[in-house]
Amino acid sequence: MATAIRTRSRAWERALRIAAYLTILVALVLTLFPVYWIAANSFKFDIDIFAVPPEWVPRNPTLKHYDEAFIERPFLRYALNSFLVAVGTTVVSVTFGTMAGYALARFSYPWQWRRQISFWILSTRMMPPIVSIIPLYLFFNYFDMLNTKSALIIAYTAFNLPFATWMMKSYFQDLPIELEEAAIVDGDTRWGAFLHVALPLARPGLAATAIFSLIISWNEFLLSLVITLTEQSQTLPIGIAGRVTQYNTYWGEISAAGFMACVPIVIFAFIVQKHLVRGLSLGAVKG
Amino acid sequence: MVKAGGGLECWAERHLRYLMLAPTVLILLALTIFPSIYMFYAAVHRVSPNPDLPWQFVGFDNFGRLLVDAQFQVALRNTAVFTIIAVSIEFLLGLGLALLLDRFIRRLTFLKTVLMVPMMLPPIAVAITWKLIYEPQFGVLNEIMFRLGLPTQAWAGDVNLAMFSIIVADVWQWTPFIFLLMLAGLASLPVEPYEAAALDGASSWRQFWDLTLPFLKPVIAIALLLRVMDALRLFDLVFILTGGGPADRTKVLSLYIYQVAYRFADPGYAAAISLFVLFVTIILSTWFMKRMRLAE
Repeated sequence: MATAIRTRSRAWERALRIAAYLTILVALVLTLFPVYWIAANSFKFDIDIFAVPPEWVPRNPTLKHYDEAFIERPFLRYALNSFLVAVGTTVVSVTFGTMAGYALARFSYPWQWRRQISFWILSTRMMPPIVSIIPLYLFFNYFDMLNTKSALIIAYTAFNLPFATWMMKSYFQDLPIELEEAAIVDGDTRWGAFLHVALPLARPGLAATAIFSLIISWNEFLLSLVITLTEQSQTLPIGIAGRVTQYNTYWGEISAAGFMACVPIVIFAFIVQKHLVRGLSLGAVKG
Repeated sequence: MVKAGGGLECWAERHLRYLMLAPTVLILLALTIFPSIYMFYAAVHRVSPNPDLPWQFVGFDNFGRLLVDAQFQVALRNTAVFTIIAVSIEFLLGLGLALLLDRFIRRLTFLKTVLMVPMMLPPIAVAITWKLIYEPQFGVLNEIMFRLGLPTQAWAGDVNLAMFSIIVADVWQWTPFIFLLMLAGLASLPVEPYEAAALDGASSWRQFWDLTLPFLKPVIAIALLLRVMDALRLFDLVFILTGGGPADRTKVLSLYIYQVAYRFADPGYAAAISLFVLFVTIILSTWFMKRMRLAE
């Protein structure tokens, strides 16, 4: 009797295991196929993109669309704008966010300000971008900054700073305070203890925060759609969207540009894999 | 213990707690207080598209319009439908996958990261990819339908399937988010209660309901709230895949605000709708932050 139950449960366990592997395999295929598909189409001639039935593997691979997008059309320029804006935003928000995160993790303030300010900062992150596009548009219009990369950097900073602050706060809270106290006893200033002791220890967190900030800025669409007007400041997502028109969709070009927009992100995703959970939950869940 | 330096240095050292916080607080004040004041101001005015014309004070008229504007109600309903269905599917799939992977394939970090990729990709690239898949003439999805002997569809261009198409693309991109947070939650479960439960002869099902779910509750709450708030601001996917159509079936609140502000050139009314969205978001985020306080 007991053996019968055990064999049955062992068979059951094995069936479950096989089902699990199959499910995960299906999930992997479903995850990867769309990415493969955009890549495959970017290497096809137009006639092969429109082929029925679809060509699962490009038979006649070509770099034509990369040439079209990045040489003939200004996608290189868009990519450069995206890059500059992402780097600018990241430098500003990580610098200030790290200082604020440290302050909120370590210092005490009168009247429970620490909590109040922490949550106020977080609440600004919750603001949907659509809510602030009209005022930001007018704001930049007033200062004659529409269609500039600086305007994008300022707008993106508003959305990245709260994230950077909370993320760095959670990393600093994980560091033992004793090391900084020891440095201060040894004659370092409070600022020195931050700069020479806490900051080097928080380096992995700093790198992860920076990469998240780069990804968020690189992917952003709505604010850029409203603030930028010409290729002088337009970012990659705007360039791509601009080739989906009412009359025609330039499939080859947007596949090439879209795939190129994904490549750095995939690399980044692998670099920050250990920090993904913390980054995506704003430090709430420590993975 | 302050090292004796210049007077300024000494002063800076004494007020370090404020100085380190100041840049962030000032930037955020400037970039959030200004929009907020503007929104309240614009929402009670009739704003002409011509910048030379003065604004006309109209009191709460713009908010009154919310009650009678059929398009707003369509957008509100679409956003609600999208949010509820997409987030529910993402939650069930994400939790299911996490339970499977946690039980059977524990140490494959690489596999996890591969499954993670969609949510990091630029939403515009995701939208383009799905547009290519949904394409009625030469898209892959219709090829599969054809092979299976099923009728081909217009997908994103079909009145009844457009919202479904948007939801599928969103589920593809964001299920990994739930999955990732659930995995982290599962990895931090304590072992002892399970050993005790196993000794008591509790089935896996009972263990799941009585132990796993309650332990995961805080993580689930955070994951769902972040997803709901993101779903409420959905814009990029709709903008590329359907443009809000066909027949307004996928017109969501963000897209409607964008259209009112820029196509209909009615910033006052757009401000009123934005304030409504903001109000809903504030209620949700207050709840979220209470959770964070608990987690702290």
